[in-house]
Amino acid sequence: MIDNATLRLGLPTVEQLTQYRIWDSYFTPSHSYPGADGTSSLVREIERSLPAIKKGQFEKLCYFPHVGIGTTTDNRLEERLRAEPELILKPLERWPKLLMGMIQLNANDVPASLAALDRWLRDGPMLGVYFTGSGPGAATCTDKKVLPLVERIAELNGVIMQHTWFITGGKDRPGQTTPAELAGLAAKFPKQKFLCAHAGGEWQKGIRAVRDQQNILVETSGFDATAGFIEMAVRELGAERIVFGSHLPSRSLGTELGKIVGAEISERDKRLILGDNYRKLLQPILGQQQKKKQG
Amino acid sequence: MTRPNDSINRRDVLQIAAASGAASLLVSQSTSAVEEESQPLKIVDTNVSLFHWPFRRLPLDQTAKLIKKLRTLGVTQVWAGSFEGLLHRDLAGVNGRLAQECRQHRELVPIGTVNPLLPGWEHDLGQCFGKHGMPAVRVYPNYHGYTLQEPRFLQLLEKVTTAGRFLQLAAMMEDTRTQHVQHQAADVDLEPLPALLDRLGRARVQILNWRPRAALLEKLAKIPGIFFDTARAEGTDGVPQLVEKVGKERVMFGSHAPFLIPEAALIRVHESSRLSKSSLRTVLAANARRLAGKGA
Repeated sequence: MIDNATLRLGLPTVEQLTQYRIWDSYFTPSHSYPGADGTSSLVREIERSLPAIKKGQFEKLCYFPHVGIGTTTDNRLEERLRAEPELILKPLERWPKLLMGMIQLNANDVPASLAALDRWLRDGPMLGVYFTGSGPGAATCTDKKVLPLVERIAELNGVIMQHTWFITGGKDRPGQTTPAELAGLAAKFPKQKFLCAHAGGEWQKGIRAVRDQQNILVETSGFDATAGFIEMAVRELGAERIVFGSHLPSRSLGTELGKIVGAEISERDKRLILGDNYRKLLQPILGQQQKKKQG
Repeated sequence: MTRPNDSINRRDVLQIAAASGAASLLVSQSTSAVEEESQPLKIVDTNVSLFHWPFRRLPLDQTAKLIKKLRTLGVTQVWAGSFEGLLHRDLAGVNGRLAQECRQHRELVPIGTVNPLLPGWEHDLGQCFGKHGMPAVRVYPNYHGYTLQEPRFLQLLEKVTTAGRFLQLAAMMEDTRTQHVQHQAADVDLEPLPALLDRLGRARVQILNWRPRAALLEKLAKIPGIFFDTARAEGTDGVPQLVEKVGKERVMFGSHAPFLIPEAALIRVHESSRLSKSSLRTVLAANARRLAGKGA
């Protein structure tokens, strides 16, 4: 017979997974487009992910909603999101214990992005921002337009997730950011933490590029489950600078959780990567929003 | 002078299979489904490589350590190619070392490398099936510099088919975006494959490391001799989607370990809870045993 309870087919036991207290920093249901009505594709993709979320015993996942500031190519959707902001909150209302959000910013529209930071971070419930590497909102992080946005995010204690890739042969579209470029930006804001999404994809270079910039943490998703990644990241950065991301549902629990549970690192380091580090990063803004609710 | 072609006729294949232990790959066709269901799951990993990846050390690139890890995951049979086959030209030496290494571990089934562009490739093929008793050979067209329209690839496929064996075709080994700047290998263009297999009715090819693309998958799905592995069937429901498209009998568990973490493909097979227990058993073990068994 197939004895899932014993074999777990590659997964740790339920008890072990629960002890990790997994918080996913990079959940990407309908990442580029939530559907013409603002939610249908997004909700469908969240539902598609639920079996894996359950199997992985995730506590929380952070996704990146579009908030009507020009981060999609659908102008009618953008207008609708501006007119009906309650649409943006629907997934958080449906899965209040499971989901957290960080808004997608449009680095090419600074005034709208600054207003969105006040609306969604200062007033809640969003916890940070996502700087994309593609689409109409993308700009390389070295672009001067990004600076006032980072300044404001820092004032609000927001978390910054920056999409990064080192592609062999060079960038394949405008607006992309490399880990080396992120290191340059992070040096200008030493008190602000930055999440280097995908560790640059080509992580052997990505890890090196951010190694000396202590306010950068690397996020683990977005590329094949190449062996040795986590081991090198722990060796060069320390486990305290690594944050788990699932990239569900377009990537799999197997690929992304497998990177951590299959790595030759200590259980302590796995706990840090799978949840502790991210919780620590979110603590200031979570605390701030909690106070606001109470007071 | 040896005439390699002569060494891979049907009679020899049977003798070699019995002598080399490849016969143990045979699964009794009379085993009933009920009997099969009652057996403990013995996972077959159809896509593993031994020795050193050319571009960095991997945590599991020592055979004993790799086997130990695969055992903990429930894998009882491992079809092993050799990373040396990617860039070495002395493939007889590569395949000899692979065969020798596989004799040290009961789980390992050696899958030799053949490069049909090398002079005397028939000799390598003959040794793989004859001397080493391998049930299949593996090809890396993108690392060896040819397309599937190369006439010598067709000749190789014909000989493999005549020998009653099968071919493993690595569609890629590493994401093109992360490859070494001085050694970039684009993914193999699989478009010509259906026409080739149409010409060779009995040919059987397992594609390794391919990320299914809808339009091409439609074409590949129509050819019953084409099989797939799970190493890069990405997405939370990527494996069940592949099974739905091509049928559960044509998808086999393959991890691409130790380049990829073996847990990744294994978790991916069941994480969406969309495959039945029967389908899981078929994908994780039965298909591989059936494919290898047919050859011998």
